[in-house]
Amino acid sequence: MEHYLSKLEQLKFKFTKHVKNNNEIHIELDDTSQLIEFCNILKLEMNLRLLTIIYCDERKINHEFSIRYLLGSDIDDIFLFVISHMNKKHAYFPSLSDVFPSSIKYEREINDMFGIQTQEDTILKPLILHDFQKNVFPLRKDFDAKTELNYSHRKFEFTPITGDGICEIPVGPIHAGIIEPGHFRFSVIGETIVNMETRLGYTHKGIEKIAESMSIDDVVFLSERISGDESIANSMAFCQAIEKIGQLTIPQKAEQIRLLFAELERIYNHFGTLSGIITDIGFPYGASRLNILKEQIMQLNEKLSGSRILFGVNQIGGVKINMTDETLIYIHSVLDNAFQTFEKILDLLKSNSSVMDRLRNTGMIEKQVARDLGLVGISSRCIGIESDTRHTHPYGYYPSIRLKQKTPRETMEHQVELQKRIGDVLSRFMSRVDDLRQSKEIIDSITTLKNDGLSVSLEGELAPYSSGLGYAESHRGETLHWIMIGEHNSIFRYKIRTASFSNWPIIEHAVLNNIVADFSVINKSFDFSYSGNDL
Amino acid sequence: MKKRDKKEPFIDTSFKSKTIKNPLKMDDSIADNYRGYVTLDPDKEFILNDKIGKILEKSCPTHAITYQNNDLKIHLDNGKCILCGNCKVESPELIKITNKFDQAKKRRDDLIETFSMSAPFEKTYDELGQELKNKIDKIFGRSLAIREIDAGSCNGCEIEINALNNPIYDIERYGITFVASPRHADVLLVTGPASKNMEQALKIAYDSTPNPKIVIAVGACACSGGIFGNNYATTGGIDNIVPVNVYIPGCPPRPQALLYGILLAINKI
Ligand code: SF4
Repeated sequence: MEHYLSKLEQLKFKFTKHVKNNNEIHIELDDTSQLIEFCNILKLEMNLRLLTIIYCDERKINHEFSIRYLLGSDIDDIFLFVISHMNKKHAYFPSLSDVFPSSIKYEREINDMFGIQTQEDTILKPLILHDFQKNVFPLRKDFDAKTELNYSHRKFEFTPITGDGICEIPVGPIHAGIIEPGHFRFSVIGETIVNMETRLGYTHKGIEKIAESMSIDDVVFLSERISGDESIANSMAFCQAIEKIGQLTIPQKAEQIRLLFAELERIYNHFGTLSGIITDIGFPYGASRLNILKEQIMQLNEKLSGSRILFGVNQIGGVKINMTDETLIYIHSVLDNAFQTFEKILDLLKSNSSVMDRLRNTGMIEKQVARDLGLVGISSRCIGIESDTRHTHPYGYYPSIRLKQKTPRETMEHQVELQKRIGDVLSRFMSRVDDLRQSKEIIDSITTLKNDGLSVSLEGELAPYSSGLGYAESHRGETLHWIMIGEHNSIFRYKIRTASFSNWPIIEHAVLNNIVADFSVINKSFDFSYSGNDL
Repeated sequence: MKKRDKKEPFIDTSFKSKTIKNPLKMDDSIADNYRGYVTLDPDKEFILNDKIGKILEKSCPTHAITYQNNDLKIHLDNGKCILCGNCKVESPELIKITNKFDQAKKRRDDLIETFSMSAPFEKTYDELGQELKNKIDKIFGRSLAIREIDAGSCNGCEIEINALNNPIYDIERYGITFVASPRHADVLLVTGPASKNMEQALKIAYDSTPNPKIVIAVGACACSGGIFGNNYATTGGIDNIVPVNVYIPGCPPRPQALLYGILLAINKI
């Protein structure tokens, strides 16, 4: 932290800065026209990447819209908010796309939800709102969440790809499998994909908007339903943000239980995804066996929490579900069993050349592209970029976890293994396997539970217009929830950036030069959530 | 890479998970504390008053519990209930949460239970359930093709629908298969609060499904909009877009509940 503050001091820009919530630095530039240049320096000199752009309608408080560029480091536990304001004079905001190519997606989102453009002459493609009537901007404060909107056709043009022998294949929004909706437009020559464009937004449910009219306790339930399979990660990030704002320290036992459920969630989802990958290459035997493991963990979830996908575990100030040391023993024994079987299945898959052949060199991504697009989680780890919120921004009980020291030999073997991560489906498969083993180790390292209660409650009201950032590592990667509190414990702005949102664009790169038939396995190997992207 | 020992059996026999014999029977595959169905505890004789009614109403984030103070009635809409258990926390002595899963109903109204305050806890919508129980022994006559459509769900319901296909629930043994196109389907299994963005696609899919067709609404979202309700981006339940034959409540409904609903839809139960 100090290191970053002193580095900031050395820059030639004029700005004011505050440190909030321990690891957040808020910066306001005196001269906003320097913003792009400033961000560029931050990127080059401090190695920061763009995490999200938060737009907020603050006309009620200070007659302005505000825009927060959230930058973060992959190594140190810091978050940097570069804040700028927009009023009547500035109807456009600067685009950061030259510095951070990933910013385009956020800019499109802002354009949809607030009706604010980056530059006078750019026409941003709509991202979330499809055939909604024109000139409605849902996240502005003067828009009522319950408004009945009429259907009106909005044009959406896919980039035309033309040339000899190029055909277009439209797929979706309803897919052949039991998955969420989205549209994929392939341009192919023969079997080979030369271009692919995605159109998402089909599951947009207005989560960020309706949160503003709910009580904070109810928003916990809403956050669980951002993406059903990430219920713990999302509700945890939300609760942590509120707890930060209210300066609430939650009991150690509650932290432990949160962590256990978070890892269980990771485990059942990774089993599911691995099974999905194997299904998509047409090896039902292996897939079914992995699926049984997923089901076992889901049954464990059910026994522990009363919900098979872990709804209703978290609450602000702690958890609702109790555990005892006997429960821990039970969890360990179920996992021991499951992982024994898992290793056997893994051996079976690895020794099957037709499986390996389909996974290897399929759906490759490049490191530079991954960096530019700001990938997180498995999608970045598969190409050797270490990004894991649990390490960079330790939260909850994670700082207290001591994993078994690796022997030098194991470390070396792991390094060799990492060298093989070339960004193909196999690398993602193996990254998930790593993640699974690590989750088991983490759960195993908890052998006794603390004894200090399950939850504490908020005292009094949260300070209006204070804000906080909550974060967690879901099985897809870094999940960020930024909250600004309104009056009387309401939510003024709830910005959610799931790992899926920042990762989706990579799919358009990963499928290039692959055959159409491999699309499903490539897509599954990333395992993005549509709902978490569309919100 | 470790070589597999030749003698080691190909299928691990110590593996305990077995296909569930009869998923429609309540057995130990369902945990006791599983939150499957919320109701007012019928064993408790309470004279409800205004205060209790209001507390119950307030405790529900999705407004599944409504209280009418003019005729002193409490309505519990299982189609809206997301099984969060908040009402149980607020009034533990009144609410009962059980692990029942057989709550799918053919009419939307049947999901709403009414508890009147004067003659406490008399269920008013029970006839259909009784009638169906009598048919339970009938056997399948034909196979059924299902097309699943996600109309904006959180993907929780998809996890459970996917689970129907795993070896534990193995829905195919009942002659039920999931098909890739609505044109091949008898049944549309629809999840999600029907987001506005999916409205068009859902209509098209419905129209392309050959007659006779059955539509099943899966989950609190599809039944009523669930926690998302009816807002600018959702339509508040898929029966606002296409006609629905069976409603399966739950958030998400567990595989057994889904199977029960599907069987109910084709009148085999
Ligand atoms: S009913 Fe519940 S689990 Fe199903 S889609 Fe809706 S919120 Fe998700």
